[in-house]
Amino acid sequence: MELEQLLDFKWSIMTPEFIILGVATLLSILDLFMPKSMDRKILGWIGVAGIAAATVSLAGFIDEPVTSILFDTFRLDSFAKAFKFILLIGSLFVLLLAISFEKKDGLAEFAGEFYYLFLTALLGAMFMASSGDLITLFIGLELLTISSWVLVGVTKRNKKSNESAMKYVINGGISTAITLFGLSYIYGLTGTTNIKDMSGTLMTMGGSQNQLYLLAIAFFMTLVGLSFKLATAPFHMWAPDVYEGAPTPVTAFLSIVSKTAGFVIIVRIFVSIFGSVPATGAQDALPMLLHLQDYIGFLAGATMIIGNVIALRQRNIKRMFAYSSIAHAGYILVAFTSMSYFTFDAIWFYLLAYLFMNVGAFAIIQLVGAKAGSDDISAYAGLYRRAPILAVTFAVLILSLAGIPGTAGFIGKLNIFMGAFATEPAHYVLASILIATSVVSYFYYFGIMTQMFFRPAADDSKFNIPVALLVVLIGSVVGTIALGILPNIAFDFLHDNFMQFKDFLQ
Amino acid sequence: MELLNLYQNNYLIVFVFLCLGVILPVVALFLGKLLRPYKPSEAKYTTYESGIEPFHDSRVQFNVRYYIFALMFVIFDVETVFLYPWAVAYDNLGIFALIEMTIFVFMLIIGLVYAWKKKVLKWI
Repeated sequence: MELEQLLDFKWSIMTPEFIILGVATLLSILDLFMPKSMDRKILGWIGVAGIAAATVSLAGFIDEPVTSILFDTFRLDSFAKAFKFILLIGSLFVLLLAISFEKKDGLAEFAGEFYYLFLTALLGAMFMASSGDLITLFIGLELLTISSWVLVGVTKRNKKSNESAMKYVINGGISTAITLFGLSYIYGLTGTTNIKDMSGTLMTMGGSQNQLYLLAIAFFMTLVGLSFKLATAPFHMWAPDVYEGAPTPVTAFLSIVSKTAGFVIIVRIFVSIFGSVPATGAQDALPMLLHLQDYIGFLAGATMIIGNVIALRQRNIKRMFAYSSIAHAGYILVAFTSMSYFTFDAIWFYLLAYLFMNVGAFAIIQLVGAKAGSDDISAYAGLYRRAPILAVTFAVLILSLAGIPGTAGFIGKLNIFMGAFATEPAHYVLASILIATSVVSYFYYFGIMTQMFFRPAADDSKFNIPVALLVVLIGSVVGTIALGILPNIAFDFLHDNFMQFKDFLQ
Repeated sequence: MELLNLYQNNYLIVFVFLCLGVILPVVALFLGKLLRPYKPSEAKYTTYESGIEPFHDSRVQFNVRYYIFALMFVIFDVETVFLYPWAVAYDNLGIFALIEMTIFVFMLIIGLVYAWKKKVLKWI
């Protein structure tokens, strides 16, 4: 490749990624040469500034038409832009949580790494959002996963953290192997790793029965492998243990950014590859994605039921939120199953709403957990007496997670619910499971509220909220209520700028 | 058909080597048994360790630092392996490969600085 060709590429569309990469490299060098005694919090703030700069530069590309560089391996389409916003805002909040996280259990030694590993994980997720090639998609996935493995085990002297890191590594390795096995079949059938070329080849292939069987194997392998990433039942076993043992900011990261990235990759691969294969040899047959949609629907239903029912029995709040996040992944899978006209909007909006309500909840879990020294639900007893505003904030976020009208969670669920009916045939069973399990979820969500408002406090000590945590709390509550009362802010933004993701396959 | 024969003949050589590999130890050990005298004694049944009486446990824990050094060595070994073909084909690859290589080497240098600062290179 010649230099002219190299300079012809429109490198500027990668600016957000370059900023994150640069800041991560800078932080690692600074961390190495800073004196030992100096507080590493400043590195965290530099990271926050970097993410903010990347968000601003991404906002500058909103009107950019679809651009792809490096032979279609990196593409900036509206899908990539929309989901990168969620990834960036989520990481911003998570990094603020990390800044105010108490550095104990051997974390002080790795405080610098603790900040920039979030950035490298974010970089991987962003590459996944805008890759047009299986290779870059996989590299992004690995960058995200390996960074999160380290982050989960970063509190070296904490046994639970070690245990969860070990479980995460083993589960993550297995899931990666299964995903790659599935992807290798698709590659073998099409002879290319470029997603656009793949869908083109598969569309015209017509296909003998044998090839269709191979494709179906690839479909299930990839689905199972990526289901680990989303922590959907029956591949959710790792989630509660890992969420419980990991430091709270990392738990928030896994449940927000990592999950969003999982949905990004699943939509990218499934819609563009399996959405274009005729399920039977005939050219006008249903696409394979719709033909096999019952299986995804089954996963969604099982995930909602298992997540919500097992959460009822949890006494540890982080485990409870792990099961709750499993259940939320199930709700989003309902939107993915129905594949209606609103699917992309519904997934995007739900992930955005979930970002706000979940990050706020984890901020409070971190605050209360550090104060009480345990994550047991009894630590929340009498929170209303001790810190009324904090308790009300938590209540708002929990109501949103439960899906009560007036909050973002309600609008998100409503969208998914309506989307399930917008297709022919409508998904009545999934929609009713969605409603029924939401009702089940009220029990454990309101259990926390009972503790906060109606139980006597064990001690009356007040909370000392750090600035960074305060920013997260205000941001999350404002986001949750604003999206709940005026959801059109988000939908107008989506429709004005991203045109229904029409350019997804162009 | 001719191509298939050629293909199969290549595997014939593999098969010959496989047979040789199996036969050689069998024949060597069998011949040894035929030729050697058989006079066992108590001393011959003891464990032999370089002419001295064996002591200690046979499972020795060796320092974990060897492992880290080995890891560092492998990283830079692989770097050299990457650099060689690039250097040989430099004229054909052009400026793009040069930039790629610079980025690659720069990343490795950061890694080396990291290892150095984290006292991996120091033997305690």
